[in-house]
Amino acid sequence: MLLQVIVSGIATGCIYSLMALGLTLIYKSTEHVNFAQGEMAMISGFLAFTFFQFLRFPVALSLILSLLCSVLLGLLMERLLIRPAITAPHFNIFIITLGASIVMQSFAGLVWSYDQFPFPTLFPNKNIILGVVRLNTVTLGIIGTTGLLMLTLFLFFKYTKIGTAMRAVSQSQNAALLMGINVKRSFALTWAISGLVSGIAALLIAPVIFLSTRMGLVVINGFAAAILGGWGSIPGAVLGGIALGVLENVAPYYFPSQIRNIIPFAVLVGVLVIKPTGIIGEERRRRV
Amino acid sequence: MVFFTRRRIIFLAGVGALFFLSPLILNRYTIFILNLFAIYALVSIGLNLVMGYTGQISAGHAGFLAIGAYFTAIMSTKMGWMPPIAVLVSAGLFTGIIGFLLGIPILRLKGFYIAMATLAFGVVVSEIILQWSSLTHGDDGFRVPRAILLGFVFDSDKKLFYLVQPITIGMILMAINIVRTRVGRAFLAIRQSETASQTMGIHLAKYKTSAFAVSAFYTGVAGGLFAYVITHISPDSFSLGVSIDFIAMIVIGGMGSILGSIIGAVILTGIQQVLSGLPEVQLLIFGVLLILFMIFMPRGISGMILDWRGRLRKGPLVEPASDEDPSRISNRRD
Repeated sequence: MLLQVIVSGIATGCIYSLMALGLTLIYKSTEHVNFAQGEMAMISGFLAFTFFQFLRFPVALSLILSLLCSVLLGLLMERLLIRPAITAPHFNIFIITLGASIVMQSFAGLVWSYDQFPFPTLFPNKNIILGVVRLNTVTLGIIGTTGLLMLTLFLFFKYTKIGTAMRAVSQSQNAALLMGINVKRSFALTWAISGLVSGIAALLIAPVIFLSTRMGLVVINGFAAAILGGWGSIPGAVLGGIALGVLENVAPYYFPSQIRNIIPFAVLVGVLVIKPTGIIGEERRRRV
Repeated sequence: MVFFTRRRIIFLAGVGALFFLSPLILNRYTIFILNLFAIYALVSIGLNLVMGYTGQISAGHAGFLAIGAYFTAIMSTKMGWMPPIAVLVSAGLFTGIIGFLLGIPILRLKGFYIAMATLAFGVVVSEIILQWSSLTHGDDGFRVPRAILLGFVFDSDKKLFYLVQPITIGMILMAINIVRTRVGRAFLAIRQSETASQTMGIHLAKYKTSAFAVSAFYTGVAGGLFAYVITHISPDSFSLGVSIDFIAMIVIGGMGSILGSIIGAVILTGIQQVLSGLPEVQLLIFGVLLILFMIFMPRGISGMILDWRGRLRKGPLVEPASDEDPSRISNRRD
């Protein structure tokens, strides 16, 4: 039974990992913190919903279109909101993304209302008995898709020329510029990938928790996951997400069920008070 | 610059007299709005002290407001004999102590981590209020008893006006003094560069925790007044969205400016009241204003006013944050 809870915890954790990954990618390349990550995911989910519910597109086509839109949303965010303030302190960019999250949430509320909507899944809903554990195919689908996406991103950053260039930018913008790397394009691409990752997260989670305009709050779990794993570290984001998901599912097993709501916040406070660098992260020192 | 010239004193006295006589001709709703303006101005000043002056993002000020409000509500229920001023001061002090305690772990954190820690603090406070229903009545909300001072019951918005406004004006004057003296200059120095200010002999830990304590004190008193004016408080009144509204107030009004805090509080509370039937539209406007101000006018309305008047009274102190600003989300690696 506990094993069962852990498996579904891993599935929830995969979603948090994806949110954390989107945040970390942007942070690593531009040192900006995107508070609107969750709202970007929510918007992609609702776009997919609109495509198949109102425009009557096939489900697969709707999902692909919505992922394209989420890439576009990432690019738009970068071009319209971040680039005009690129020289401003990071504090200002954080506030701008905070504003963007409010705008997206209220916009979605106006267009799609605050109701909950059922969302289709690409995976068949069946149960597979594996020893003592009963596995749901949707759960497995979430874990599998997340794993595949992580692997693709890993290969992209490690072996492609663009990926290598993006890693160079995240190490030193000036040095990358001197090596002839187009830093602006690299920033835009980071936002595009981050948009895609959040879009995929939305499509994976929406069938499980229903689609609603409140979904964007998942960004806080993403932050908690990224900080738990070690802010700024990609393996940390993945690990933190899964750890948080498991914790969130296992805690109600031992404590009153209301505890679930405050787990991400308790984790945030706990990690920041005890070890702000998280599981993997290392302390950065600043030269004066 | 001389603050109290003869003409100024006469002018201020005239405005003050008019202001305090105004409830005689204004209707109930307008007076209620004026009281809300005052309360949010206090919150906004409190937040500005820690965020605009000291450069530590707080996304959890609704938590302080909630502590002040519930402290006041519980005190006036359990100890009805206490005069409202004493209740409000103790609410402020209690919240201030919580702010101080929150400030201690935050000392180790920087920029965006502080935003996350305070955000979590705000949510945890409202969750505690929700769960601790034997004390706070949880989800049902708390009916706040009327403030009574020596047999005089503050049972209308008009009467509350004479409780809320003098306290607010007094605390605004106090804030102006805080930011003009050594403490305020230390706050501004910390915002500019923590390392540099430490080198100049500013005790970082002392000033950063006291910024949180003073900020929480202001917000706690505002919470107490909020409880008296709203008369019915519940955990939803202190959600994460409320903390973000407060950030919008000081960004739009002007970070690092007392005048800006007041302007921001008045404008956003005004929008909130006018569009109270359309919460989505109201949020949309807040978000758009937040983005536009941060991109085009990071110094907010008070910065615009200062530029427009061409005065440099506080010029160098409220300059937009430079590239080496410690309030930026983190430090560069190269």
